[in-house]
Amino acid sequence: MGGRFKPLVRLSILMAMTFSVVLSGCGGSKDNSADNGSSSTGQTATGSSSDGKVEPFNVSVFIGEAGQQPTPDNKIYKKIKDETGATFNFEFLAGDINQKLGVMIAGSDYPDLMTGNTKLTAAGAYIPLEDLIEKYAPNLKKHYEKYWNMMKDPNDGHIYILPNYGVYNGKLNSTWYSGPAFWVQKDVLAEAGYPKVKTLDEYFDLIAKYKAKHPTIDGSPTIGFEILNYDWKNWGLFNPPQHLIGHPNDGGVVVNNGVAEIFADKDYAKQYYQKLNQMNEQGLIDKETFVQNFDQYLAKLSSGTVLGMFDQHWNFQNAENSLITQKKFNRTYVGLPLVYDTSTKDYYRDRAVLNLNNGFGISVNAKDPVKIIKLLDTLITEDWQKTFSWGIEGEDYIVNDQGRFMRTQEQRDKQSDGTWKLANKADALFGNLPKIEGSFSDGNSTDAAAQPEEYKAGLNDYDKKFLEAYGFDSYVDFFSEPPENPIYYPAWSIDLVEGSPAKVANTKLNDLSTKYLPKAVLANPSDFDSVWNEYTSQIHKVDVKAYEDKINEQIKWRIDNWSK
Amino acid sequence: MAVTVTNKKAVRKPEKKRKLTWAVLKSQQQLIWMSVPLTLYIILFAYVPVWGWTMAFQNYKPARSFSQQDWVGFKQFKFLFTDDDFMRVLRNTLGMSIINLVLGFVTAIVLALLLNEIRKVIWKRTVQTISYLPHFLSWVIVTGIVATSLASDGIVNDLLMKLHLIKEPILWLSEGKYFWGIVGASHVWKEVGWNTIIYLAAMASIDPALYEAAEMDGASRYRKMLHVTLPGIKSTIVILLIMSIGHILDAGFEVQYLLGNGLVVDWAETIDIFVLKYGIAQGNYSLATAGGIFKTVVSVALLLVANWTAKRLGEERLL
Repeated sequence: MGGRFKPLVRLSILMAMTFSVVLSGCGGSKDNSADNGSSSTGQTATGSSSDGKVEPFNVSVFIGEAGQQPTPDNKIYKKIKDETGATFNFEFLAGDINQKLGVMIAGSDYPDLMTGNTKLTAAGAYIPLEDLIEKYAPNLKKHYEKYWNMMKDPNDGHIYILPNYGVYNGKLNSTWYSGPAFWVQKDVLAEAGYPKVKTLDEYFDLIAKYKAKHPTIDGSPTIGFEILNYDWKNWGLFNPPQHLIGHPNDGGVVVNNGVAEIFADKDYAKQYYQKLNQMNEQGLIDKETFVQNFDQYLAKLSSGTVLGMFDQHWNFQNAENSLITQKKFNRTYVGLPLVYDTSTKDYYRDRAVLNLNNGFGISVNAKDPVKIIKLLDTLITEDWQKTFSWGIEGEDYIVNDQGRFMRTQEQRDKQSDGTWKLANKADALFGNLPKIEGSFSDGNSTDAAAQPEEYKAGLNDYDKKFLEAYGFDSYVDFFSEPPENPIYYPAWSIDLVEGSPAKVANTKLNDLSTKYLPKAVLANPSDFDSVWNEYTSQIHKVDVKAYEDKINEQIKWRIDNWSK
Repeated sequence: MAVTVTNKKAVRKPEKKRKLTWAVLKSQQQLIWMSVPLTLYIILFAYVPVWGWTMAFQNYKPARSFSQQDWVGFKQFKFLFTDDDFMRVLRNTLGMSIINLVLGFVTAIVLALLLNEIRKVIWKRTVQTISYLPHFLSWVIVTGIVATSLASDGIVNDLLMKLHLIKEPILWLSEGKYFWGIVGASHVWKEVGWNTIIYLAAMASIDPALYEAAEMDGASRYRKMLHVTLPGIKSTIVILLIMSIGHILDAGFEVQYLLGNGLVVDWAETIDIFVLKYGIAQGNYSLATAGGIFKTVVSVALLLVANWTAKRLGEERLL
């Protein structure tokens, strides 16, 4: 009996499954459309009857990076809901951003607010904001006044994205440097008697001496220098040459008098990689450095055995936090703005620039953009900004007799507690909102970490002693005061336009560097020149001109349109 | 596929070919109704998407309607075939694919033969379970394991050093010449147990009388394996081979993407990675589609050739 029965059963199960898939698919979409419909009527209703009274409404938000949902009873979001009526539904990126965007674009499936992305702009997913801001958002208009022209999309002149960083008010206090530098373990400097290190040669000498003296750290072999080149995190390998000749970070080009050219094939680039090649010969460079992935890199840094690397501070922040948790303060890092020779002035630290293509844009699917822009306009006011950055007075910070904001040690500790933050901070939202940076009208710093009193009070003993030895107030003082930015700066934020010959050339150049630079560094010193020549001859086969032309065209465009 | 099978059965049931009349249709209506959902499924998910191939001949921009797209003819294909790197990625794809194919078949068949000889059920089950468990790990995890074991202080180097086969650790992942082998070996590790299942099933269906007869004739265990078991699963092997040949341009994506690095890029990049880099990552969906079409056309052609060869050799066929 079983023999006859089984295939039938199997078939019917299969069919049932097929049906259920088909049905659930249909059901889902039906639900959605019904949902959209009802929420749209709900919104228009509240929209017309608002003014004065707080009526609840929902804003769906897509955040283009991985993150954690805030707790349902988060106090800041609750305050927003009580005072403005807005409830946020966050969707965080899970997986690959390009894949996610591809799906969103293909289905025109956009939430109300989305973080900026050139792919979405190209797909026409955002609505132009300039008229809305003029009409409904006086605070935003005032906030962005000086930057208005910069925010316009170079392709059609509309404003789609509200930049989240780079708009400064008042005096800028900076105590934390997040950008690129040659980093070195504090202990290396401490042991050498706190020297001022200026050049690449001095830097590697220090590392070599320290490594010779301490072949192991905490039982593991000491690693002299790390170069991370993994996936899109390629600056550790690609970027140093431009800084070593005293230029700021312009990505793949160096700009002289408004004219950009690639530097990958230039002699000053060769000089750097040749130095790395020699250092590799001396065994200073980690053997596995070009094979490792980002996690392995962080693991090595976190172990405290890595003496130096070129990186951007934010990129290895997690490793440094781990060192701090382990109380290995002498293994944390100082950024050094190295140059080839002392006559060159370092230009690593730059004045913050408008963070174009980042921040929120309102999508074409948003049912009531006016309501959303009004909400954003409310949130840019100083009271709200204080709530976001400092928290709630009395609970998260205190105001001392001079009217300065301070935190108690307990409050300070909470700020580094991830779980606490999910319930008491609105970081996911605030990170992408338009924000006031610098100082508030009462003189307090907009960022607690940049409040000088706060910074000093929060320093541990090791760092206090370290900074005293150098006579500096903070680690930012290792860098020269940055000059006024050129108008076009930075060239790395130029949108090469998806699929254009310039973008293809850029991809090819990156491919070549990824392939040849490790080879050149690891080569036998006598073979270095031949590898280098092969590399440059391959570069010259690429349509470099298309790449440089596009950048120069945009530099010119920025100079023409951004100048006041 | 399920549909064609049920349809065929429905039509074939009568001994002679009967004319398709309303009466026939009516008498088989239950069967026809049963096949409708699956036919719909196939049309919806296997044929309708082929419409998307038009993208390959456009300069496709999302959010534009079909009539607003620019038609560019074979531009995308031209870019693909004239690019210097394309030949390289094609070579890598074929190389790794063939290694995977050969290693995959040989190891799976050998393991299946060995397992089949084990008389103790518990032992056999244990080996089988252990060997097919890695199949359920995702490649992300597997590449993590591979990278860790091949690191300079990883288990592979440790073992080779202890055995005095090498003097100092080899950086396996930094040499292009090892890369294909590493990929092949990882595939074997991950898939060998899983691949044996189907052979074991085929072996189970071999008539025990054949073994008995062979034993009567004085055949040794080894002889039985060679003259009874292997011929018994030959048709299964051929069918699976034809199917795999159709997939020869799918050398994989995750392994190469996750294990590859600048030093081995010449050996690690496959067609899929190339298409991702120059197609999807650049927002050039047309190029990505063109790459997809190329792969499909080659696959179908290879499938037909393999099928035809099998037919000429008098073997089991797929189509």
